[in-house]
Amino acid sequence: MTLTATSFDWVRQLVHRESAIVLQPGKEYLVEARLLPMAQQRGLSGVSELVESVRNRPDPAVTRRIVEALTTNETSWFRDGDPFTALTSTVMPQLVAARRPDERLQIWSAACSSGQEAYTIAMLLSDALPNATTRVSITATDLSREMVERTRAGRFSQLEVNRGLPASMLVRHFTRAGNEWEIAPALRRMVTASECNLAAPLPRLGPFDVVYLRNVLIYFDLPTKQGILNRVRQIMRPDGWLFLGAAETTLGVDDNWERVVLGRGSAYRPKKGA
Amino acid sequence: MTLSQTQPITELLDAATVQSICDEVWPSLVGDGEAFVPVPVPPPAELVSAWVDIIGPWTGSVVVTCAPATAEALTESVLMTRPPTVVDDEDVADALGELANVLGGNVKSVLPGESRLGLPQIGPAPARGRLDDVRALVGQWRGNYLTITVQGTAPHPSGTEVPQ
Amino acid sequence: MRALVIDDSRAMRRIVGTILKDFGFEVREAGDGQQALDVLQEGKAESWVPDLCCIDWNMPVMDGLQFVMAVRANPEFRQVTLMMVTTESETGQIVKALAAGAHEYLIKPFTADALRDKLALLGLLPEGVSA
Ligand SMILES: C[S@@+](CC[C@H](N)C(=O)[O-])C[C@H]1O[C@@H](n2cnc3c(N)ncnc32)[C@H](O)[C@@H]1O
Repeated sequence: MTLTATSFDWVRQLVHRESAIVLQPGKEYLVEARLLPMAQQRGLSGVSELVESVRNRPDPAVTRRIVEALTTNETSWFRDGDPFTALTSTVMPQLVAARRPDERLQIWSAACSSGQEAYTIAMLLSDALPNATTRVSITATDLSREMVERTRAGRFSQLEVNRGLPASMLVRHFTRAGNEWEIAPALRRMVTASECNLAAPLPRLGPFDVVYLRNVLIYFDLPTKQGILNRVRQIMRPDGWLFLGAAETTLGVDDNWERVVLGRGSAYRPKKGA
Repeated sequence: MTLSQTQPITELLDAATVQSICDEVWPSLVGDGEAFVPVPVPPPAELVSAWVDIIGPWTGSVVVTCAPATAEALTESVLMTRPPTVVDDEDVADALGELANVLGGNVKSVLPGESRLGLPQIGPAPARGRLDDVRALVGQWRGNYLTITVQGTAPHPSGTEVPQ
Repeated sequence: MRALVIDDSRAMRRIVGTILKDFGFEVREAGDGQQALDVLQEGKAESWVPDLCCIDWNMPVMDGLQFVMAVRANPEFRQVTLMMVTTESETGQIVKALAAGAHEYLIKPFTADALRDKLALLGLLPEGVSA
């Protein structure tokens, strides 16, 4: 049986309530494709049957899995390049000069997916700073529990290490574990992973010197984007740096940021007195 | 390393690892959305195999076996041909051989020690050695019989083959 | 941009070649390392020098590692970017290829996205193609 309009609507509302992700009409195919395996696993013939069964017997574990199944976790190493080039060429040198040597530099990969962004930063900084493992701490968060666990494990498939990771870094920072690759323990210790819903009041985090908030605002409506940018700014250092995804901007969303051109890309900094 | 010290493939490689290799190879080499499903179906009358040898602390072959028609369909899928383009025997030997090569390389990389990989071969499946030195995944692709067999070439320790 | 795709499997040459052509590369092919050296030599007459070689490892006649060493030993081809595209995937093998002078390493199987990511790393993506 194909997805009924009421079932789609129920999923759309659930996902919006729990994650703020907007599923526009027309995304029925996405709901169908992502939830069908889950329905079949439960011996149900289709997604509408799955929805019916949760509506009749609410189960937080199942609703969580539905929401997580509708997140898009696509990511890669050194994604878009520029935000990482800027980190080592401009951002880190300035921060290192501005902070006391015993002050930890705090970096946040918000919406970290399976951890490629956080470990890209860890690899770069461990190469760039002699004392990176003690000088830097990286917080990686995601809505999805599965993604947080994957980040914590620091294990990647062959297909994943093929996506943008320079071969020289693969051999230096990873060891094989069966047919997967495991990040070096010292780098894994630089990263602390936890669950965090960006669309809800934030847990006690930060204050952050650098925030990577990339390829996640695209899923939200304008008020949600505004709320997130505002809350993120509250837990950033006044001279901190924010990186957004290539298709994302604060312009026209939240005026309290100043856009700075860095090489071929750009970053955002909290406006003074905002 | 003497024969008695060599562990059989069943000690070195579990079925889940072979399956996880297939889960990467099928969607990226055979095509988007394609999968090797480890649910057996009855074997067809005629079979064709492609394999690569692994030579090292463990020596043997990684063999892909299916019906000739399945091999042809695999080739069309790998090459993304559209009708009226047809694939010839050489295309099939080449594509099935490359599938064996990619599977073989990934299997080799999870085995202990340093090994070498041979070039792909095609024909009737090579003879098996010790019968306890075989890790076979019997399953299907698009409903058609297909097996992936990782089999040693070391003869049975007694020197005689155990009858099947 | 020009590329030379070296693989004994013509299916693989076609897969890699098709992706590269989509990114605007002009592609030539060779079935082993020796053939590839011949293509490079012949290309010189018409000043056809590739920007990129995609190189399988296990091939008859001359394997990919030997090809990398031969190209690196020839200063005429200093500008050519060498990327292994192979199912060989142990750390030791990757190190060996990099030490011989390969610039990048893509493990088979790979997706078109993975090849594009590598081109981006190597600075070989044409303008207008987003990484
Ligand atoms: C496309 S990935 C981006 C990963 C990485 N930042 C990058 O740019 O490659 C989007 C991630 O956002 C997460 N996500 C979606 N909604 C979220 C929310 N409300 N709070 C936190 N994370 C969320 C998803 O689970 C997914 O892992």
